[in-house]
Amino acid sequence: MATIVSVDEFITDEWYPGFKPAFEHAPYYVEPFRTFNKEDEKRFWFLDFHWPRGLTPLGLIWNEDGYNWGTQFAAENLPLPPGRGLVSRIAGIHTYASPIDVQSPYEIGERAQRMGPRLGEFLANFDEIWASRRDEVERGWQHLVAMDPSSMSLPELSTMLTEARAYHKRAFEIHFEIMYPLLVNYLGFYGMCAEMGLDVSQIGKFLQGYDTKIMETDRELWKLARAAKQGGLTEVFATTPASELAAKLDAMGGAGAAWMTQFRDFLQVYGYRTEGSCDVALPSWIEDPTPALGTIQSFVVKEEEHDFEKALAAAIEERETAIDEARSKLTAEEQTGFDAGVASCQAANFPWWQDDHNYYIDLKVSLPMRWAARAIAEKTGADHPDDGLFLFWPELTAVADGEKSMDSLKSIVKARHEYFDYWHERRPSMPKVLGTIPEAVTDPVLIEIFGLNQHFLNAIQAAGTDGDVKTLTGVPASKGKARGRARVFNNADNLHTLEPGDILVCESTSPNWTPAFAKIAGCVCDGGGMLSHAAIVGREYGVPTVTAVGLGTVVIAEGDEVEVDGDTGTVTVFKAS
Amino acid sequence: MSSTAGRRIVWIDTVDPDDALRRTGAKMGRLAEMARDGLSIPLAFAVTIEAFREHVAETGLDHRIDEVLAGVDVSDGAAVESAAETIRAAFRETPMSPELEAEIEEAYDELSDRCSDLNVPVAVRSSATGEDSSDASFAGIFDTYLGISGAQATINAVRDCWASLFTTRAVDYRLKRGISHHDMPMAVGVVELVHARASGVAFSVHPVTGKSDRIVIEANWGWGEAVVQGLVTPDHVEVGKADGRILKHDVSRKDIVSAFDFAAGVVVEIPMPARLRERACLDDEQIGAITAAVLEIEKRYGYPVDVEWVVSRHRRPGEPISIVQSRPVTTAVEESNPAGYDPMALAQKYIFSGR
Repeated sequence: MATIVSVDEFITDEWYPGFKPAFEHAPYYVEPFRTFNKEDEKRFWFLDFHWPRGLTPLGLIWNEDGYNWGTQFAAENLPLPPGRGLVSRIAGIHTYASPIDVQSPYEIGERAQRMGPRLGEFLANFDEIWASRRDEVERGWQHLVAMDPSSMSLPELSTMLTEARAYHKRAFEIHFEIMYPLLVNYLGFYGMCAEMGLDVSQIGKFLQGYDTKIMETDRELWKLARAAKQGGLTEVFATTPASELAAKLDAMGGAGAAWMTQFRDFLQVYGYRTEGSCDVALPSWIEDPTPALGTIQSFVVKEEEHDFEKALAAAIEERETAIDEARSKLTAEEQTGFDAGVASCQAANFPWWQDDHNYYIDLKVSLPMRWAARAIAEKTGADHPDDGLFLFWPELTAVADGEKSMDSLKSIVKARHEYFDYWHERRPSMPKVLGTIPEAVTDPVLIEIFGLNQHFLNAIQAAGTDGDVKTLTGVPASKGKARGRARVFNNADNLHTLEPGDILVCESTSPNWTPAFAKIAGCVCDGGGMLSHAAIVGREYGVPTVTAVGLGTVVIAEGDEVEVDGDTGTVTVFKAS
Repeated sequence: MSSTAGRRIVWIDTVDPDDALRRTGAKMGRLAEMARDGLSIPLAFAVTIEAFREHVAETGLDHRIDEVLAGVDVSDGAAVESAAETIRAAFRETPMSPELEAEIEEAYDELSDRCSDLNVPVAVRSSATGEDSSDASFAGIFDTYLGISGAQATINAVRDCWASLFTTRAVDYRLKRGISHHDMPMAVGVVELVHARASGVAFSVHPVTGKSDRIVIEANWGWGEAVVQGLVTPDHVEVGKADGRILKHDVSRKDIVSAFDFAAGVVVEIPMPARLRERACLDDEQIGAITAAVLEIEKRYGYPVDVEWVVSRHRRPGEPISIVQSRPVTTAVEESNPAGYDPMALAQKYIFSGR
């Protein structure tokens, strides 16, 4: 019998206080973004891990541009045979997403006919395609970053906002245009390896050891840490909270001020980066350098310096060994297919692109919209620039075009701040899934990025019938075993409270969580797969990691004793008495 | 040419291979075919189908069998069982003709001579016609006796094999399929018992997945009985057909071994000496020899086969492996994946099907 999780609690017509959409503006390709209704219970919805804080009204634009335009556009144009991409709903300020299934076998067949040649063409020309898309995103970025919102008039800001939105939307068209075929290739190869009897926990290794923009940034952060040590600043870094470091170093003059100059040069190149994916409410490192300083701080106090060259060489050697080892277990016939599969997946390398595209798209493209929105708020007399982020798109454009006054929206904005705070508090207790739990999912993004594989679905099904889950099963993402105290995190805000030997339990991690891996003994994620951020970083840092366990953040309580077995993909929970 | 080669008794190494299946049944007939193809087969003779037909005709067993079976209601399990038991008792009570007994005795003594042995231990094996045919798989349904020693014991074992044509399961199966026992006469093979250092089975296609690009070998120390009875998990080896590379060699813990008890004249199950329990019972050279034999047999027959093989204690590296049985595999052979790498086909198979 199907497991159904009720959506009743979240049914409403209102997105936030004072806003009901007209669905006139919302971009979508197949199905629009909206709130829950009772009909939605027939479908399967899962809580999106990308925004553990929740989204502000303007932040909800990602649901439109990313899911309801980006994924649907890409899934129709490739096209994916059994699915038309993803659609999303909000419960309070939290996003739930669902696949849009194609029902007719005739349509599925025709879509497959169309997809075959397009997939082949994409894989054969991946380098060129990604290079040209990256250039396009960079051109848009250069156009927008050259603007100075503080000196612009309201009509100019209105134009900037419109352009920033177009740039944002196009970036996510590109994002999914690339992501879907890369994932399809990777998952097909994964299935082939599994059927050949290969150890699937090794597949990630076949594709590792290629340099990315995120790694380039990490190298620069380490350089800054080295410079701090050489400048005799170790003591200052060790004793000053990250949020106060910039002021303290500037005030020091001498070595401190010199280091800050170097740091600001770094920010000019690498600082247009948010702590978290695709959220207009997040500042960049330039706006708030605390996260970057915190990372450098954790590097400074570490005894040993991370040798990137050595780590990369080791990763390459491990890759070649893993490939040789796998080949030795295959027949000559199987080797032919395997070799071609490895070559294809290395050339159109999904894990590599995961890191690379985060740099160019996810951690960056919301910034121009943020700058414009805040400048418009400031210019129109808002109490705080961030109030611009608490307006919906039609409201913000109306204010920018002088059709509506900011004053008239102030009470609504205040109510929305409270609404945000209320739902933000509720995040840890939000259901992981809603509606009808399916037997299987076919959307590649759901399978790999959200980890909605058989493990996850089994865990959810089991939890529906038996509350006493003591063992969780997921994807063995990084080998080794570790036992320690569970630390359950719903966002990255308090990561600095982690202590060496802790087991990190979370919905998912993103690049800003990386420094935590230098401390923790093990990691458990509700979502993800072999190639999610935690899996890749876990392997890099040698931290046993299990992803896609489904209900880790629900079943495991802060302080529980947890054993993570990264070889078998099992997590054993010993309840704290 | 052997002095006893004739109508009732034939030697497997001299019988006309083209005539062997008809005269000596499926199991022994295939051994004769493999002997012709140059494979290493243990010394053996067969008590022919003609000898069986003559025995049941001359002794009146034929009529008794027809009488007993005539009134049996197929749906009445107890009646089938009772009829089968009556027929088997009749076989055991009915002596062979003195001529046939003498011929078996003479052949057995000759086998001992050829093995340079006295009262050489043999395997006495049922070899019915149609036994291994794909439509009615009687595989393993009829008796085999390992480690029989002496002429009289061999004669008794031959009669027991004949009787096993009428086990309850065999009778029930034939009645339900409408197969007359007249259409399934039985020859019996008397085969030199190869002293096994290790033995096992080999498949020219993976028996579970149906993959035809590999040979799968299962092996245990001594004779195969302990494995057949499920007392031991055998070592598991997979070999690529194209290049003979060993792809997998899982060594299991083998606590029990089937050994020949010379005092009692039977194969018994005894504990495996501790030092050999977790050792691989085949080395790479032996695996290569088994692979070569299986490939040859599959090529000869033109369809996938399973093969029972024995590594004799006397075998030296470079010598062939003894083959004691082969038969067609009933596993459906998997369609081989298209050569190369087809991302769309893989996506359809592993993603979009909702695996």
